[in-house]
Amino acid sequence: MPVISLILLGSVLLLPAAALLSLRWATRSGQFTLMNRAALLPFDDEEPIGQATDQILGDNRR
Amino acid sequence: MSYGPLLFLGILFTLASSWVGLVLIPQRQLGALEQFTDTNTAAIYPQARAGQAQQGAEQYRALGCIYCHTQQVRPEGYGADITRGWGRRRTVSRDYIHDKTVMLGTMRTGPDLTNIGERQSDSSWHFKHLYNPQITSAGSVMPPYPFLFEIRPIGPFGSSTNALSLQGVFAPPVGSEVVPTLRAKQLVEYLRSLKSSGDLPEAPVKKEETK
Amino acid sequence: MNSTTASKALKALLPGDFSNETGRRAHLAEIDASCRVPVLFFFLSGLLWLLIGTLFALLASIKLHTPEFLAGQEWLTFGRVRTVHLNTVVYGFASQTAIAVAIWLMCRLCRVPLIASGVITVANLFYNIGLTVGIIGIFAGDSTGIEWLEIPKYATPIIFVSYALIAVWMIIIFRLRTERHLYVSQWYLLAAVLWFPWIYGTAQVMLLVEPVRGVVQAAINWWFAHNVLGLWFTPIGLAAIYYFIPKVIGRPIHSYYLSVLGFWSLALFYNWNGMHHLVGGPLPAWMITVSIVASVMMLIPVFAVAINHHFTLVGHFGKLKHSPTLRFIVFGAVSYTLTSLQGVLSALRSFSEVSHFTHHTVAHAHLGMYAFFGMVMFGSMYYILPRITQREWPSNRLISVHFWASALGIILYVVPLSLAGFQQGRLMNNAAVKFLDVVQFTLPWLQLRTLAGCLLALAHLAFVVHVGWLLLRMLEPYRKPVLNILTGGEIPATTEK
Repeated sequence: MPVISLILLGSVLLLPAAALLSLRWATRSGQFTLMNRAALLPFDDEEPIGQATDQILGDNRR
Repeated sequence: MSYGPLLFLGILFTLASSWVGLVLIPQRQLGALEQFTDTNTAAIYPQARAGQAQQGAEQYRALGCIYCHTQQVRPEGYGADITRGWGRRRTVSRDYIHDKTVMLGTMRTGPDLTNIGERQSDSSWHFKHLYNPQITSAGSVMPPYPFLFEIRPIGPFGSSTNALSLQGVFAPPVGSEVVPTLRAKQLVEYLRSLKSSGDLPEAPVKKEETK
Repeated sequence: MNSTTASKALKALLPGDFSNETGRRAHLAEIDASCRVPVLFFFLSGLLWLLIGTLFALLASIKLHTPEFLAGQEWLTFGRVRTVHLNTVVYGFASQTAIAVAIWLMCRLCRVPLIASGVITVANLFYNIGLTVGIIGIFAGDSTGIEWLEIPKYATPIIFVSYALIAVWMIIIFRLRTERHLYVSQWYLLAAVLWFPWIYGTAQVMLLVEPVRGVVQAAINWWFAHNVLGLWFTPIGLAAIYYFIPKVIGRPIHSYYLSVLGFWSLALFYNWNGMHHLVGGPLPAWMITVSIVASVMMLIPVFAVAINHHFTLVGHFGKLKHSPTLRFIVFGAVSYTLTSLQGVLSALRSFSEVSHFTHHTVAHAHLGMYAFFGMVMFGSMYYILPRITQREWPSNRLISVHFWASALGIILYVVPLSLAGFQQGRLMNNAAVKFLDVVQFTLPWLQLRTLAGCLLALAHLAFVVHVGWLLLRMLEPYRKPVLNILTGGEIPATTEK
């Protein structure tokens, strides 16, 4: 029994602590302010935003 | 500066939480459950299975019986497990401590088998049912298991004592008989051993109900 | 710092001037070409297993309403045919295509070519050897009897090593990335490759190598079986959806914040869900309650994902007509929402009382594994295969047959069986109805399911034929594709409104 309680108590304390620390680190290092840049990652100069791909069916095909 | 380490830690911590919660702690809580000895009657429950029944459990596993049959009785008032007569009480963790592979099952294409040994203790019923379920339960969707039986010519001293008594369309050709193989015997011994209704402090059997 | 030295050492492995600041950005075609052999191997072996799995699915389905069908042969008994079906489609088709999609996506998003791709090809070889041995073992009666983990223990180490190799390679690609920012798909992919070996390893050790006693087995069994869906297939499926929807329509994801919220809430809650498969079972009430609570919390990631995808797509639905990838992916994304909601519902005690132990659960499993995950994988293959082979899909008609047969087939499978399964549960919970009458009630629905299965089989045949045709085109000398699919096509004027 004590072992279980220890594990429980330990994880109850450790996990949120780890989460809080990561959150603090993430906000400080600007990970949350640069999020919009991450959203652009699927696109590049070759296939920029606004260019649809894979339009191979229907009228578009000759 | 890189996202990497943060992501790595987060991914590991989240899974670690449920690993501790749903694997480690249950193992600590339930992994060492012992048999229960009733201080009044000195009855010990649950009892370990005898050799042949134990081997039958392996047949049950290998043939995939688990995919249509459960071995768990839900509490009274939750589903109709008890009113259907599948058990006199719900099953609890202690009922399964002797099972090499715990086969609770998740599907009831066929009925629950937790207490089939109590409901059907007659081996010849089980043999006929396994040979072709239509003999004993017409309309069943259980597959027949003819490969667990041997159809052979009746010897000079008459039919064997363990030959199945089959009539009508199910009867073998004249002059031959259907006898269970060793594996069929093991499987039937296992089925007959399935009884989880011992009185336990955490799951008492209602005395009134059995009158 | 230590990690940067490691990165530099890894980058030194790369060919050419890749590590130069000037030559950092690899071209898409170069990345696609570097993935060609291993990704193709995983796709093709996945499709081969899909055909085998479909065959045994049909056999199992027929056997369930016509029990005498092929009953004389031991290796073809229902309990084995059904198990072979599950293991071939889950570990053969779904996992192998998932690995291929994950590798390709990871390379593209990290903007690095796949290094030492031979290692992945070797992993594929070992994976298929392990799986073949395992499937033969199940036919021979060596199934472990543990759902979702039936492959016998003499075959699993090979599979595990192969998985571990792939995980290591994915992490190496990740470390080599030339883009500091991470797209949400990369989060999901990295998580999936780290989570899977952990859950698989735990289940193998505690259930097969050194089995624990009693119902702890059931707890670990369902902790694994639910996590293989939630922490392996779901993240890879979502990673693909998050990449392909923006990529096909040419518009960034609606809200990146929402996608991050979705990721972390999935990571927090999904892995606690497993015990909802044991509601009413012989386990301590606290375990089951925890899982029910976590299952309800899954509403957060599910809605985050659904809202995000919907708002990304708004105004671009016309592109569904022209893009096979988008059709399959959007079908999969909608199914993800539906299957998750059905899952939350089924986890509740009052609903589970009826739906547990019935065909409702079977329908739910197919909504998740096929309508969501399978369709997303098909969609991904429609995008990836032309790019890694540098050839176009030969036939629009075959694409249509594949899409409509699989879409209608799975709808015909899931909707009637969900409803019939629920009614089956209601009848079963009424002790006045004889059990055999419950069995008889399900028969017409099971026959309908066989019909749906035939449609799915037709879809798979069309797809495999089409892939074969595409590969035959690789034998011909390379011609520039007629359509500029490799760099993206023009948007038809009709869909621009």
